[in-house]
Amino acid sequence: MTGAWQLARAGLRAERVRLAVWALAVWLITAGSVSSESQVFGTAAARAARAELIRSPAATALAGPGYGLDDYTLGAMVANELLGWVALPVALMSAFLAVRQLRGAEESGSMELVRAAPVGRAAPVPAALTVVLIADVVIGAGLVVVLIAGGLPLPGALAFGAGAAGVGLVFGALGAGAAQLTARARTASASAAALVGVGYLLRAVGDVRAPESGSVLSWLSPFGWAQAARAWVGERWWPLLLLPAAALCCAGIAGRVAARRDLGSALVPDRPGRSTASPRLRGLFAVTVRRQGGSVLAWTLGAAALCALVGVLARQVLDFVAEQPDLARILSAGGSGPATDPVFARYLVLATCLAAAAGVSGTAALHGEELIGRAGHVLAGPVARVRWLLPQLAVPVLGSALVLVTGGLSMGLAAAGTLDDPGQIPHLTAAALVNLPVVWLLTGLTALLVGAAPRWLAVGWAYLGYVALTGLLAGLLPDGADALSVLRLMPSLPGDPMAWTPVLVCGAAAVALVGGGVWGLRRRDLVA
Amino acid sequence: MTSSIVMSGVVKRFGRRTALDGLDLEVATGEVHGFLGPNGAGKSTSIRVLLGQIRADAGRTELLGGDPWRDAVALHRRLAYVPGEVALWPSLTGGEAIDLLGRLRGGVDPVRRRELTELFELDPTVRMRAYSKGNRQKVALVAALAADTELLLLDEPTSGLDPLMEAVFTECIRQVAAQGRTVLLSSHILAEVEALCDRVTIVRGGRQVRSGTLDELRGRTRTSVRLQVADDDAATALVGELDATDGVHDVDRDGARVRFQVDGDRLPDLLESLGRHRVHALTAHPPTLEDLFLREYGGVR
Repeated sequence: MTGAWQLARAGLRAERVRLAVWALAVWLITAGSVSSESQVFGTAAARAARAELIRSPAATALAGPGYGLDDYTLGAMVANELLGWVALPVALMSAFLAVRQLRGAEESGSMELVRAAPVGRAAPVPAALTVVLIADVVIGAGLVVVLIAGGLPLPGALAFGAGAAGVGLVFGALGAGAAQLTARARTASASAAALVGVGYLLRAVGDVRAPESGSVLSWLSPFGWAQAARAWVGERWWPLLLLPAAALCCAGIAGRVAARRDLGSALVPDRPGRSTASPRLRGLFAVTVRRQGGSVLAWTLGAAALCALVGVLARQVLDFVAEQPDLARILSAGGSGPATDPVFARYLVLATCLAAAAGVSGTAALHGEELIGRAGHVLAGPVARVRWLLPQLAVPVLGSALVLVTGGLSMGLAAAGTLDDPGQIPHLTAAALVNLPVVWLLTGLTALLVGAAPRWLAVGWAYLGYVALTGLLAGLLPDGADALSVLRLMPSLPGDPMAWTPVLVCGAAAVALVGGGVWGLRRRDLVA
Repeated sequence: MTSSIVMSGVVKRFGRRTALDGLDLEVATGEVHGFLGPNGAGKSTSIRVLLGQIRADAGRTELLGGDPWRDAVALHRRLAYVPGEVALWPSLTGGEAIDLLGRLRGGVDPVRRRELTELFELDPTVRMRAYSKGNRQKVALVAALAADTELLLLDEPTSGLDPLMEAVFTECIRQVAAQGRTVLLSSHILAEVEALCDRVTIVRGGRQVRSGTLDELRGRTRTSVRLQVADDDAATALVGELDATDGVHDVDRDGARVRFQVDGDRLPDLLESLGRHRVHALTAHPPTLEDLFLREYGGVR
């Protein structure tokens, strides 16, 4: 353990900017959501109506276990609907942080230097998790402040903040474990993110099957433990103790593995590969498929799982709406389609955002190719810059389409099964496809930045974040918050009537953006 | 004599920093040209200009008779490049990376590829991320040498190679030169440059400070002489005489041993006068490239 503290301090220093951005984003989202919830649902009657809506399985899947629905105070509402969504980014941040500090440092070789100094073999894991712990505690404390400032009582705020921080800690420790499994930081990050996804899914399915943490599935997920603390609904503190206990267990295992294995090795070792390339590895498209195929698959599976869940719950949504004529009127306002359509439309926005995230991250990775010097090496061959960009860009473009179509298809398949209506398959797949130009517009914007102005690459992510946030929290945010979102211009299918003009305009804009990226790349100096 | 590379008065600025400050470089077709200079002198920037990866702010650059920015693709068919830092696809094996680079230029000669892989003792089944620096360098070298191009742009190609592999590299470049192909070799390994290069260009601060054959450059520099005379008295007498001689510098004495430097063109006269002393042992060596280099870079000695 020698040197662990110095290592942690160095890690904290290296990560401070990134962590500050995460923390600020989490606090802002929380503050914004609390203030809009308190405005939109200012009266007990409004909150009671909201509680009825939230009781529906589809909403439960995306909210929480539903403590306090009978007396839906602002606190109960924030705990039920917000805690999961706040803990999610904290979990991802913590897991990625741990992987970066451990496997990232090992892959880049900096860990070799560190371990050559008087630093114990067992030091890196506790050091990395100390950084995670500090980051999570700071975020949790900030959440408490934000919630109290939002007019909520202290005990619940403490339970909320501790819950979010504790979930982060567990996934940070799981990230440290994932970092022991593979020799590649990317693979380790992806596995850790998958674990976060599984954790969220377990609590979603569990909460749908039995409210108020009645299902064992909810108790298999750290998210479930945080929510079981019943913030603002008569706090119950002991489930929160499960979080540090689980984190300590995972950290212990990861630490033991790390201290025993050779530096640079992994539990899943590299095998020797081919000595010559297969005929299929013909060019940059093929190599990009190989490099990005795994993450496209992960995004696709994530979208498919989430959408299938919504489809499975379609029957409950229908039953629920049938019992609530008032709600049916609200949901189908402006449309004459079945009551499920607006619900499906809401969740197709989620699938759209997932697909766009897949497209944006795959496209942004092309700038990494340039930074590391690979683009320079390839472009020293007889390869025009267009021929460098377009085949590689084709992978995120097609990959994002795959994510979206798979999302729509799996929602359709699941809905067809539960509603006994095969028509849902083409119905929902087509509805998902309508958002394809949006996905490509966001991908195209990133392609423009990669080609023409790589220094501003963060703008692509920021706009995606904005579109996702305003799209997913529609109704919670103040009116006009989505004024600049491209989603606002699109017909909300299924439910709305189809409108071709925005779809075609959006598609044309996406093509133009990619063209701008090619134009810019041909004109500028390579970065490295 | 035609030139494969002509750069004259090339300027490149990155923000406030001037990387190339009126650089001149001329490489004749068929020669192996050494490109020397301290870190940050502008060698890699020059090569990136030649590859059309960055555009010069001023000056003229001609590569194989074309414009490296405008005609990049056509020119790149006729050249191969080895960077000093090889960052190929980490998940591909070395063999796959060589084949992929070859396919991007329309195919790779499997016989030549196998010869080179064996020559450099490269294990092509290892993934790029698992190679050591020297082995990554070998992958780029095999890929470049397997392409039968008329020009090779090599930017510190042997960094990380062991001495054995460096010898293999030297032999390969000799063969390339014997075929009449042109090589621009940027390197810090002076023995390698001395063994391979017909002419060298030394740059510093983004400008050329010297260019010519090694002999031409040597003519400007001093020969180091070490000798031993019978005893201290003889040494004292010799030192007194040397101090009074034009063209002799840096006289240093340790007992009966004397070291000094003499301008290249004064060496014959000096040897004549040394005959009058009882010299027991004498070594004289012409300036090595290292001496030249230290002189041009450091401005001392």
